[in-house]
Amino acid sequence: MTDTVLVVAESRAGHLADATREAIGVARALAAGGAVEAVALGREGTALVNELAQLGVARTFLAADPAWDEVGASAAAVAVAAAADRSGASLVVVGGTSGGRDLVGRLAVRWNAAAATGVTAAERADGGLRVRRPIFGGRATETRRLEGGRGVLSLRPHAFPVPPDAPVPAHAEPLAVEVPPAWRAAKRTGVRAAGPSSGPGLTDAAIVVSGGRGVRAPENFALIEALAAALGAAVGASRAVTDAGWRPTSFQVGQTGRAVSPQLYIAVGISGAIQHLVGMVSSRVIVAINSDASAPIFKVADYGIVGDLFQIVPALTAEVRKARGLA
Amino acid sequence: MEIVVCVKPVPEAETRLRPAAGGATLDPEAVKFVLAGYDESAVEQALLLREAVPDTKVHVVAYGPAPRTEEVLRAALALGCDRATWVEAPAQTTGDPLEAARALAAAIAGAPHDLVLCGKQAGDDEAGLVPSALGELLGVPDFELVVDLRWRAADGRFTFERTGDAGAEQWECPTPVVIGLQQAWNDPRTAKLPNILKSRKAPIAKVTAALAADAPKSRPEKFELPPPRTGAKMIEYKTPEEAAAKLVKLLREEAKVFP
Amino acid sequence: MPDFSLTPEQESLRDLARKFARTEMAPHAAECDRAARFPEEIYRKAWELGLMNLNVPAELGGSGLGAFDQCLMVEELAYACGGMTTSIIANCLALEPILLGGTPEQKERFLKPFCAEYRLASFCLTEPSGGSDAAALRTRARKDGEEYVLDGEKCFITNAPHASLYTVFATVDPERKARGITAFVVPRSAPGVTPGKDEEKMGHRASSTSTVRFEGVRVPVSDRLGAEGEGFGLAMRTLDHTRAGIGALATGIAQAALDRAAEYSLKRVTFGKPIAEHQAIQAKLADMVQAVHAARLLTWHAAWTIDHGGRGTLESSIAKTFASDSALHVADEAIQTFGGYGYMKEYPVEKLLRDAKLTQIYEGANEIQRSVIARELLREYA
Repeated sequence: MTDTVLVVAESRAGHLADATREAIGVARALAAGGAVEAVALGREGTALVNELAQLGVARTFLAADPAWDEVGASAAAVAVAAAADRSGASLVVVGGTSGGRDLVGRLAVRWNAAAATGVTAAERADGGLRVRRPIFGGRATETRRLEGGRGVLSLRPHAFPVPPDAPVPAHAEPLAVEVPPAWRAAKRTGVRAAGPSSGPGLTDAAIVVSGGRGVRAPENFALIEALAAALGAAVGASRAVTDAGWRPTSFQVGQTGRAVSPQLYIAVGISGAIQHLVGMVSSRVIVAINSDASAPIFKVADYGIVGDLFQIVPALTAEVRKARGLA
Repeated sequence: MEIVVCVKPVPEAETRLRPAAGGATLDPEAVKFVLAGYDESAVEQALLLREAVPDTKVHVVAYGPAPRTEEVLRAALALGCDRATWVEAPAQTTGDPLEAARALAAAIAGAPHDLVLCGKQAGDDEAGLVPSALGELLGVPDFELVVDLRWRAADGRFTFERTGDAGAEQWECPTPVVIGLQQAWNDPRTAKLPNILKSRKAPIAKVTAALAADAPKSRPEKFELPPPRTGAKMIEYKTPEEAAAKLVKLLREEAKVFP
Repeated sequence: MPDFSLTPEQESLRDLARKFARTEMAPHAAECDRAARFPEEIYRKAWELGLMNLNVPAELGGSGLGAFDQCLMVEELAYACGGMTTSIIANCLALEPILLGGTPEQKERFLKPFCAEYRLASFCLTEPSGGSDAAALRTRARKDGEEYVLDGEKCFITNAPHASLYTVFATVDPERKARGITAFVVPRSAPGVTPGKDEEKMGHRASSTSTVRFEGVRVPVSDRLGAEGEGFGLAMRTLDHTRAGIGALATGIAQAALDRAAEYSLKRVTFGKPIAEHQAIQAKLADMVQAVHAARLLTWHAAWTIDHGGRGTLESSIAKTFASDSALHVADEAIQTFGGYGYMKEYPVEKLLRDAKLTQIYEGANEIQRSVIARELLREYA
C-alpha cells in the first residue's frame, strides 16, 4: 500500500464541485508526498480531468459509461473500489455531498476499509488515520482512529478550505467497470431542482437570523429577511419586535416565544435581555451584531460585530450570497 | 411484504454529555438510552407501510449491549412492530458503525427481508454509514435521504423521493432494497399504555454477533465537549465589507457552520 | 421498601406520561390557564394513549395499574399542568367507588364503556353546606319501589359539565348521619340531573368545576353501590386510594417550580454574578429541593403501602398534606427567585402557585388531614 490517496470527483453544472476541491485539499495533505488520484463517473467525468489536474491530481480514472449517471449514488462505490484497487491507494476521500455520503458504507465494506463520515479534521497517525467529527448535533466532538491499512473518509460540508492550484499534466485512464446489474432495475423518474428556499420552520431550522429593536422600523425588517434568505435560514424576532406588531408572535424567540437551538444563530440589533436569551442560548454558534458594545448579547455570543446594522447586514448578505454562489 | 427496521439505542436528546474516565467515550453513567427521533420515523414508516400493504410484517432489529438494546426493542414492539431480534454486542463496543452493519446484516440475511429500513443516522454518532454498508453486505441496492416512501401494488415497486445534490429526485425500485430515510417527515405515533405493558412480556429473539477479528476498525480516542462560552470574539474591521468577509471566513473555517 | 430504583416497566410508564405531558400538555398550559379553556382535544388524546382510567382492571379494558405506578405517571402529568392533570385523573376518583363497592355485573356495565370510548365521570360528594363535614351531607335518596329518588345539590365537582356519569353520595336517613349515606351511579342523561356553569377559579383553570343539581332523579336499585349505609365507608376508602395521587400531583407542581427557579438562577446575573451564587438564593433552592424530594418519597411510600395491601390512611394523609403544603411553599419561593419577573403572567411561575393552592384544599382539606393524621398516630399509643 502506497500513500496514494484517491478522491471521488463530483461535478456541478459541468464543473468540479467545490466539495471535491475541498476533498483534494485534504487528500494532498494526507498523501504526504504520495500521489493524489481521482475517479470520475458518467457523462460529465471527462470534462473534469483538466480541473482535477489543475489541483494536482496526477491521474483520473474515468468510468465514462452514461449508465453511471442513471443509478443510485451508492452504486458508485463499485466503480470507486475498482479505481482504488487500480491506483493502489490506501485512502479514499469524498467531499461533503449527499451522493458522497451515500457511497461510504458500501465502499468500506466492498473495499475492506475502515470509514468515517462528516469529518472536520484528518491526519496520519501511528500507521493509521486520526479523524475528528462532530456528534450529538454538534454538542460534542469525537476523535477516532481508523486502523487496518485502508480508510474511506467523507468530509463535513464546508469544513475545509479550497486548496490553491498545483497544476500537473492532465492524465485520464479509462476504468472498465460495469454498472452492477442489481441496480439497473431501479429508475430515476424525475428531478425537481433545488429552488429558493421558502424558509424552514423556526424551531427546526439549522440557521436562524433574528432582528430586534435595533432594526427601528417594520420596513427595515426586510434586511433581516434578505440575510436569512441568503443563508437559507429561518427568521426570528425579539419580543420588542413582535410586541410592536412588526412581525407576528410566531416569530418571537424567547421566554414566551419559541426556544430554538440551531447550529447558527445571528442576533441583529438585539440587546440580549434574559427574556430573549433563554430562547436561543443553547444554539451551537451565536453571532451578535449590535451598535452597543456593552450589550449583554456579546457575553453569550461566539462572534460579535459592533457597528451599524444598516451597513453591516447588507454587506454580510452580499458576502454570503457570493460565498454560496447565489445569483 | 417483510420489512426489517434497524434501530439503535442512543442517549436521549436532553442528556448532559460527559466524557467517561479516560476521556475516550461518552460516560454512560446516568444516561438514559432511548429509541431516538430518526429511528422512531423509521418504525413509523414501517408501520404505515404495514397498514397500506396487506400481509406485511415488521421485524425490528438492533445491535447493542444489555440492557439498553432490549429496552429500545421493547419500545419498538410497543409501537406495533410484530417481532424483535436483539443482536447482542459486548459491553464495550468500538462504536464503529461498520461493526454494527456487519452484525445486523448477519441477523437480517437469515430472515426474510423485502425492505430494510433505517433512520437517517444514529442519534448519537450521526454517521449515516449503516444503510449503504447493509446494502453491500446483503447484496441489494440502497438509497438514502428518502422521503415519501410508497408501495405501488400494481407492479410491486417502491416509489420515493430522495434529497440529492441537484435537487429532489424521484425514484422507483423493486424489492429487495435498503432504504435510509431523510429526517422525520412523518409524525411518529406514541405507544399506548396497554401496548407498553404488553411489550414487557413479548419475546425477543437474541443472537450473538459474530464479529470478524480482522475486520478493519475505527476506535474511539477522545470524546470532547466544546469549551464554555467566554464572551464573543469581536471582529475588527475598517469597512462593513471587511467585517462581512471576516465573519463568513470564521463561520466557514473556524466554527464550521456555514451552509 | 429497600430498593428505590424503578423497574424498566415503570420507567416506560413514566416516560409515556412525561412525553405526553411535555409534548401535548405543556405547550397549551398557559393558554388554557389564561382563557380558562377545557382542552377536550388533549383529554381525548390522553384517553387514546391509555392515560385515563389507570385504575380500571385490564379485564375490563383499563390499564390496571397499582397506586405506585399511577403516582409515577400523575407526577409527570402535573409537572406540565396541574389543572389538566386534575381533569385527567378525575375518572379514577369517580370510578373507584364502583371498583371497590360494585358487583361484578355493575363493574362490567359501568366501567367497560369508559375504556371503549372517551367518556368523563365525576365524583359527587361535596355539598354547599358541607365540604369537610362529609358525613353531614344533605342530598336525599328516598326509596320508592325499586327505585330511589335523589334530591340535592353537589358543588365543586370536577368535570361535572362534561361528565356522562356521576358517582353520587346521598343519604337515605339524615338521622343516621354517616350510617345513612349510600352510593349511587347516575347517568347524565337521567331526567333531573343538571350540571351547573363552569366556575371561574384561581387555578386549575384547564379543569372544569361546577355544581350538579339532582331534582327528582330516579335511580334504579341496580345502580346502587353496595348496601344502604355503606356509602360513607366507600367514599372514605376511595379517598384512601386516591390521596397518594394528589401527593404526586402536588409533587409534580413543586418539581416544576424548582426546575424553573434553578434554571433561572443560573442565567440571571445581578451584582456581577448569576444569582445562583448568592447565598440567599442557594438557601432557597436547598430548602425547595428538600421539600420536593421529601414529598416524592412520602408519596411513593404511601402508594407502596396501598399496593402491598395496607390501608395506607396515615401514610397517604401525610403524603397529601406534606406534598401540597410543600408545593405551595416551593411555588412561592420560585416566584421570589424570579423577583419582579415572577410576578408577571408572562413567566410560568405564578400559575404554579395558583395551581398549588388547590392541592391544600381538595380531596380532603389539610386541616382535616391533620386530624386524621393525629387520630391514626395516637392509635399506636392507645
